[in-house]
Amino acid sequence: LSSVPLQMLFYINGIYYIFYFLATLAMIVYKSQVFSYPDDFLVPDLLLLFIMAVLEVLRLHLGSRGNLTEEEAPLGLSLALTVGSVGLSLYFLMWQSYVLRADVVLNTALLLTYGLQAVLKVIAIAAFV
Amino acid sequence: VAKLCVCDLLVAQCDVNCCCDPDCSEADFSLFTTCSVPVVTGDSRLCTQKAAVYSLDVEANPPERIFTLTDLVNPSVFCIHAANYKQALYFSPPEIPTAENFDQLLKEFGGATFSAEPDSWSIDTESQNPDANETYRYEYGVPIQTVDGFLRLPSPVVSSWCSDANPAGFLVNQATKCIRAVRVETCGSVEAVSMLFYINSSILAVKNEFVFQVNITVQSIVVQSLSGTRTLINESDVLRLPVPLDELCINIVLGVSYHITYTDTGEIIAAAASFVLGAINKAALSIQQSFEISFTQVNTTPVPLSGNPGYVVGLPLRAGFRPQGYPSLVKILFAALSTNRYSQLTIMQSTSNQDCLAAQGARTPILFGYNMVSGCKLRITAAMKCQPLSQTLLDLLKGQNFPEYVASFGNSQAQDVFEWVPVITHLHTAEQRIYNTFQSLCQIPVSLEIEVKWTKYGSLVNPQARIVNVTAAITTTTLKQLPSGRQRTIPVMSSVVFTDISSPAEPGYKAWPTINVKLPFDFFFPFV
Repeated sequence: LSSVPLQMLFYINGIYYIFYFLATLAMIVYKSQVFSYPDDFLVPDLLLLFIMAVLEVLRLHLGSRGNLTEEEAPLGLSLALTVGSVGLSLYFLMWQSYVLRADVVLNTALLLTYGLQAVLKVIAIAAFV
Repeated sequence: VAKLCVCDLLVAQCDVNCCCDPDCSEADFSLFTTCSVPVVTGDSRLCTQKAAVYSLDVEANPPERIFTLTDLVNPSVFCIHAANYKQALYFSPPEIPTAENFDQLLKEFGGATFSAEPDSWSIDTESQNPDANETYRYEYGVPIQTVDGFLRLPSPVVSSWCSDANPAGFLVNQATKCIRAVRVETCGSVEAVSMLFYINSSILAVKNEFVFQVNITVQSIVVQSLSGTRTLINESDVLRLPVPLDELCINIVLGVSYHITYTDTGEIIAAAASFVLGAINKAALSIQQSFEISFTQVNTTPVPLSGNPGYVVGLPLRAGFRPQGYPSLVKILFAALSTNRYSQLTIMQSTSNQDCLAAQGARTPILFGYNMVSGCKLRITAAMKCQPLSQTLLDLLKGQNFPEYVASFGNSQAQDVFEWVPVITHLHTAEQRIYNTFQSLCQIPVSLEIEVKWTKYGSLVNPQARIVNVTAAITTTTLKQLPSGRQRTIPVMSSVVFTDISSPAEPGYKAWPTINVKLPFDFFFPFV
């Protein structure tokens, strides 16, 4: 049987991620205006943000499909992609050029969501297998 | 932060009202009234930072300074929690040069300027553009290149001895004279006195391009004998090298004259050299050589310019005529006839004896910017008739071919009709005594005043002189019939005046000013 909490989490994650993406992009623009942000440092940050967005869409789609069709393969793939997303979120939390307090708040919330999602995915895979 | 003190300016002395100064003692603090620097912090945008707070406790007796180290918390959401880009918040100490990084440091900081972002500056495109222009054409003053170096025009440098390192500049007409040491015994080995030295290397037609080369042809050879007589040689294509003959050495180069022909795109298409060869005898230790170079544009006859484009002070005014019968439209060629053979405007020249009739024919060209006055005295006898006398004086004042047009720019070509200004002639007659009509009134011209009005044209930093108006005013006077046997002397005068009628400079913009839009600092107002 499909896991309802997992599906709810996917839905909330999607909405939260849209907000996260727009907020982080706006803050990078703000930082580039207010602080000294040379191109060497600005380009990697922006690139990683867009990669993270692509990864997120893929991950949520695979996870949702796997959960609804009760297949463990897409769910497993989604779990693997979650690891990548966690890595990128950690980058934005600690290794960005400028980490503002708002960045800390947003990324911590995202990491908590990812952690919860990973636990629920493992449980779901165990249930489907 | 506890060690930073902004108000500590005097070394080893206590600054007044500076609570953080380490040189102050307790007694000094008790004399302060306030603390000029109450808080010392780092960057205020950081989320948490240490702050040193200084204050004076005025209630205690004596007043004492209180120093506390606290943590300041920035309440804003957008405070910097951590910054991985270290250069943003701190001055990075410069690298100490060592043997390993010296070359890299020299490359980065060794030039005249360096910036904080050396990689992003595109210096390559800027340095390529001048090269791209230079390969295609010569410009004024640029040394003319030959296959092995530059075209040399030997000239005296510090002393009068010839130096061969002087390159000839493109379009720079030069004439130099210098002394070269040569003796009969060694005349074959000194290469600077042989013709080959001056014509052996070919000139590059286009700068930096070795494909197109122009050979220097020998245009004419003139042989000068020991006594100074010069003879033109017919076969000028034979190379004559210095050769000892009896007790002389002949075919020594005494003078070279280069004539370079160029196109209007800055390419050299022909080069010719004319030589003057001479001979030296055993007693000679040195010879004087003279060199000159002149440039002619292809398909034009060389006309000496009086400025390019504006008139240069001291150069003669250029003038000419319009041939009869041609309408004042396109492509009118001015006739070769003009005031003198160089097509210049001239006025009468004063001579030492100041006799007008004896001085007929001596004229001097009018030079731009130089006001001139000249005159002579005319002796009138009773036998002179009015009409021929009037005509003679008019010829004397105006000259044989008084021009109708004067060039407005120093380099005006004959084809450009609108660059030529007509000479307006006025006739001023003296007061006519009308009441005595029985006497025939004889008017003779006695003065010619040429007024040239010019203006400054072009940019304020490099104004060019341009002639706007030329007026020639002839004043006549009445010649009363003389009783026979009497003589009279009247002065005849001509003058040239240059008047500057420039209007004041107007500002002009090279390009429209552009709008530079940047996001304002408080764009994110509600959040900051």
